[in-house]
Amino acid sequence: MMKSLKTFTPLAWRNLWRNARRTSITLIVVSVGLWSVLFFNSFMNAWVQSSKDAALDLLLGSGQIHAVGYMDDPNIEALMPPPSAALTAALDDTRITDWTTRIALPGVVVSEYKTLPVTVMGVNPEAEARISSLPGKLVEGRYLDDTDDDGVVLGLHMVERLKTGIGRRVILMSQGIDGAMAERSFDVVGVFDADQATEDFFAFTGLKASQAFLGLDDQIAEIVVVLPDEADVDAEFTRLREAAPDLDARTWKELNLFLASTDSFMGAFIYIWLGVVFSLMAIGIVNTQLMAVFERTQEFGLLRALGMKPRLVLLLVTLESAMLIGAGVLIGAAISALTIWSLQGGIDLSAYALAVEMAQGGNIIYMEYDPGSFVLFSVLIWILGIGVALWPARRASKASPVEAMRYAS
Amino acid sequence: MSNPIVTCRGVTKVFGKGDLAVHALAGVDLDFAPGDFATLAGPSGSGKTTLLNMIGALDTPTAGEVSIAGNRLNDMNKSQLSDLRLTKIGFVFQSLNLIPVLSAVENVEFVLELQHCPAAEQRERAIKVLEQVGLKGMENRRPSAMSGGQQQRVAVARALVTKPAIVLADEPTANLDSKNSSDLMDLMAQLNADLGITFVIGTHDVSVMKRSRRHLEMLDGRISSDTRR
Ligand SMILES: Nc1ncnc2c1ncn2[C@@H]1O[C@H](COP(=O)(O)OP(=O)(O)O)[C@@H](O)[C@H]1O
Ligand SMILES: [Mg+2]
Repeated sequence: MMKSLKTFTPLAWRNLWRNARRTSITLIVVSVGLWSVLFFNSFMNAWVQSSKDAALDLLLGSGQIHAVGYMDDPNIEALMPPPSAALTAALDDTRITDWTTRIALPGVVVSEYKTLPVTVMGVNPEAEARISSLPGKLVEGRYLDDTDDDGVVLGLHMVERLKTGIGRRVILMSQGIDGAMAERSFDVVGVFDADQATEDFFAFTGLKASQAFLGLDDQIAEIVVVLPDEADVDAEFTRLREAAPDLDARTWKELNLFLASTDSFMGAFIYIWLGVVFSLMAIGIVNTQLMAVFERTQEFGLLRALGMKPRLVLLLVTLESAMLIGAGVLIGAAISALTIWSLQGGIDLSAYALAVEMAQGGNIIYMEYDPGSFVLFSVLIWILGIGVALWPARRASKASPVEAMRYAS
Repeated sequence: MSNPIVTCRGVTKVFGKGDLAVHALAGVDLDFAPGDFATLAGPSGSGKTTLLNMIGALDTPTAGEVSIAGNRLNDMNKSQLSDLRLTKIGFVFQSLNLIPVLSAVENVEFVLELQHCPAAEQRERAIKVLEQVGLKGMENRRPSAMSGGQQQRVAVARALVTKPAIVLADEPTANLDSKNSSDLMDLMAQLNADLGITFVIGTHDVSVMKRSRRHLEMLDGRISSDTRR
């Protein structure tokens, strides 16, 4: 077998160039098919990564800790005291990049024109500036100065709907600790521009200011945790759960199911795409190879007449397909690497900002060249391609040796 | 007379079934001995190619027996028939005899390769037979760069190189002009005379028939005459 391979390789190689047009068609079909798979895979990974990054950076963090029950019904009864000494020690560990505490409670925001539902966010501006991208999204006015700052920062779309603006006053209302409705007016000091859901959903003020407004001492709604490496998230949260067994610590995957499912869906989607591309490629490969085999029926008859066994004919033709598809795979992989390399500066999707916002995506997609998936998909396409080319090869191996003698008539 | 290389006993070949059945061979009894130089003639459709296919182990009879170098074809499977062709029989066909992407010497080496002959020996033997058929200096030409007569010589060289028991040629001169036909016949006659190689040549070219030492005529799937001279 190995010896036959060695002898037939030059023969197979020369046979490939007998019909340059057909060879080129197959090369194009395979290389473009593989390119689309590799590019798509890289693009989607980058897309998922960027939407994940965007969401995690915005407010979610790598995960959060709440009092038990808060996630089911976030209300003023479901708050928790500031982190215990044990939890603080666990959070200050070097394996955690940063953390901060927040108030996050449902309420309404009222202007002269409208009353809209909102989540009242009491934050520590200094810490937020380190762990959240939101302070960087201010388009008007200023972000909060400190935890005592009793200005309010609203989203652009919210400001438009409320017909308010910088320097105007709005009223925040929420259930206070005494069970009665707490309300207080706040100066609008800043406007941020994020995705519409975030703009419509949050009103930010200083942590202490929010606690005072709601009649709280130092209770908080959530602890946001940021990790250096997303891969460690499960291990780190296990550690945090041990440090605070009576609290509810959840990773981003548990907090944002949409994001988590996009993540796994995209992983599955690439295989669906691979299936589609491969089906088209298979049609192309089988067609051209069948044509090539039919044209050479007489020649395969000759080979059989000379005493070449059917399985050697099969080997020869399969070798031809393996080289042809292999060359297509190499070309496709090279073009893909080139494409990704040429786009390494990032693809700016801000022109499609609305669509990007709806899909919770980031505005700039950074594609990465991932050798693992390159090798995986290239080899997969190559092997599957050889697999379908076995059919034409079998046809060739069944050529009748009698053909060679009968050609005369 | 020594043991025959080929024996045919009551060989019948029927193509198709029922009303459409064609009796291409209708009971052929025939022997070929080592050193025979025979031509097989007869009208078109008389069964020459079908008979050569049987003798060449390319096909098996519907009824009757064919033996080649002591091997009964009737008992052999496709793979065994392949091996028999590879080791015992040389073929020269009418046209498209050669593998187009291989040079003259590579075409000859190809059958040695199939026999797992060592590479160095392949080249040596291939070059030697090409010289015997008068193609010295043409070793590296592809078939497309050779005349029809030269291509047929390469085919003869390839048929000889494995030292077969018998060489079968079906209409080997049909695509050649009279000069090239005559040269090819001279070559085969000489190889027969010098090396004792057994040839059976199917033809309807009268000038070819004249060259043989044994002449067979076929009619309607039967041997109608068998003359030696
Ligand atoms: N594979 C086949 N299928 C059907 N008929 C065939 C086949 N091969 C040969 N024949 C028929 O058998 C007869 C003998 O053909 P052949 O041996 O080719 O004759 P010749 O070589 O003398 O011209 C012809 O009638 C031919 O049509
Ligand atoms: Mg014929």
